[in-house]
Amino acid sequence: MPIHEKSLIRPENLVTNDSLVIDGVDVSGHWSTFIRARTITDYNEAMEEEIAALPGGENIHRCWQCGSCTNACTVNAVNPEFNPRYWIYLIRQGLEEELLRDKDIIWQCVSCNKCTYACPRDVVPEGVMKATAHWLELKGHTPKSPSTHFDESFHDSIVRTGKIEEGRILLEFLKKTGQPLRQPWLEALVRGLVKRFPVFYLMRMGWNTVMRPRTRGWRRAGAAIEDYVQERKAGQARALGLDQEA
Amino acid sequence: MSAKPILIVGGGPAGLSAAHAAARAGREVVLVDKADRLGGAPILQGYAKLVPSHEWARDAIGGMVTRVAQNPNVTIHTGAEVQLFEGEPGAFTATLKDGRKIAAESAILATGFTHFDSLNKPEWGFGTYPDVVTTVQVEQMISSGQGIRCPSDGRVPDRVAILLCVGSRDRQIGREWCSKICCTVSANIAMEIRELSPRTNVYIYYMDIRTFGLYEGDYYWRSQEEAKVKYIKARIAEVTSDGQRLVVKGEDTLVKRPITIPFDMVVHAIGMDPNVDNMTLSAVFGVALNRYGYIDKATPYAGLAQTSRPGVYVCGAATGPETIDDSIAQGQAAAMSALNRAGTVLMNAAE
Repeated sequence: MPIHEKSLIRPENLVTNDSLVIDGVDVSGHWSTFIRARTITDYNEAMEEEIAALPGGENIHRCWQCGSCTNACTVNAVNPEFNPRYWIYLIRQGLEEELLRDKDIIWQCVSCNKCTYACPRDVVPEGVMKATAHWLELKGHTPKSPSTHFDESFHDSIVRTGKIEEGRILLEFLKKTGQPLRQPWLEALVRGLVKRFPVFYLMRMGWNTVMRPRTRGWRRAGAAIEDYVQERKAGQARALGLDQEA
Repeated sequence: MSAKPILIVGGGPAGLSAAHAAARAGREVVLVDKADRLGGAPILQGYAKLVPSHEWARDAIGGMVTRVAQNPNVTIHTGAEVQLFEGEPGAFTATLKDGRKIAAESAILATGFTHFDSLNKPEWGFGTYPDVVTTVQVEQMISSGQGIRCPSDGRVPDRVAILLCVGSRDRQIGREWCSKICCTVSANIAMEIRELSPRTNVYIYYMDIRTFGLYEGDYYWRSQEEAKVKYIKARIAEVTSDGQRLVVKGEDTLVKRPITIPFDMVVHAIGMDPNVDNMTLSAVFGVALNRYGYIDKATPYAGLAQTSRPGVYVCGAATGPETIDDSIAQGQAAAMSALNRAGTVLMNAAE
């Protein structure tokens, strides 16, 4: 029988033998086409709990698959493969292999939160997307995302000095994400600053950049923040079963 | 007042409610039940906690039994069946199987339903594998205090599947109706299982979820949000075994993929069939059945609880799948109709 819905079948699961004879009958070519079974044979019950343990994923178990999130989705409008409803389902059932097929687009969520306001069960799909992208990184399925690089530089700056050192964060971000430091918009910005800023402020900025002074009394506050962050990270690693592997 | 008693057939929630209402209004009531005790399905089948009150069936329905049994206006015949029912409204005579005759002003049929027999769906493994059970058996596991255990070896299951619509919404077995209560009952049972054994994961395989009205929040949502019960849209094709555990096969329609998942226990959410005695009841009482085999209601609006035969009323699951609380309401409605009829006769006589 011809396969009517080839679009539903992954090409790698379609098998055709160029030359095949069964009981003396030549069934070479498309006559012998068959579809490899891709039966789901078990549920990974840990997966939903792993996502739920990451910030944003807490309400994933509420989902009843209505599809409001995907219908509301900004990214889905551009790329129909971007389907939060489907991913939530895969996670809830623990179909990890299936989820990993889409690992390179899951992080593309733009956090517009249209899904958040469409969801009748308050699943907060935007949070789930964030948690899932985070999960993919922590599990090593995807490299660090640009936003993770940014978060790390930002975090380092705060913990170290108690200040947001914008210039340093920006430069580190460009470096880590492999972008050229000489960006026309950045050069225009710097030129503008140099031209318009009073000399005193420019000198102070230069001094701050080199010396990196801390906010007064920051040593203890910074240490407390760092402790808290490490504690949360350790908790997440535990929830994901990463602490045993290490 | 020489008014004859009202005959009530069936001592489940609907019959008990009708008996209580009529007796409290001062009428003589004769209550007949074929079982050896009153209470109907919730008592005879050993239901656990009821929807929506979460009261134990033995307390809630048992209380209704006591209330009726203690009412001096009520005469109770258990282990009894009506064999012959003759006469006109206001002057019926019912003959029981043992030959006793009961004069009755009118009759209320509260004859209930029969649970679907899962043997009629052999592909789902009931009767073949001991760990395939029905919702009624799970109710009994809970109400007896033995807890959720696999009948084969008594172990606590790691994973339970509840299959909805067993014996409902299925042309293959001539049952096109929705049994109305099974979704809510299954959600309730799933929560009970999770409470009794938090390490047991419960999956519900559904075509649609019909936890109607306020049951949506208290059962469907709560089972998902608090008890973390998982709902999977698939009508199961077959239940087999790999020798160790049960294997549930079907299609997960949301990922468009076949599934063969191991389970420790499979629960059939069995539906409500017409009472197996309905053909007999129809012949004895001269009431019509509807096309599904339940006792037909003459009119849904003008006269509550009327059957095709004047002076004979019907209530509860005898008329179709029904909840316990609605059966109780309908029992009162049937009693009201019977009282109204009797009152009309008296008023006419007075004029």
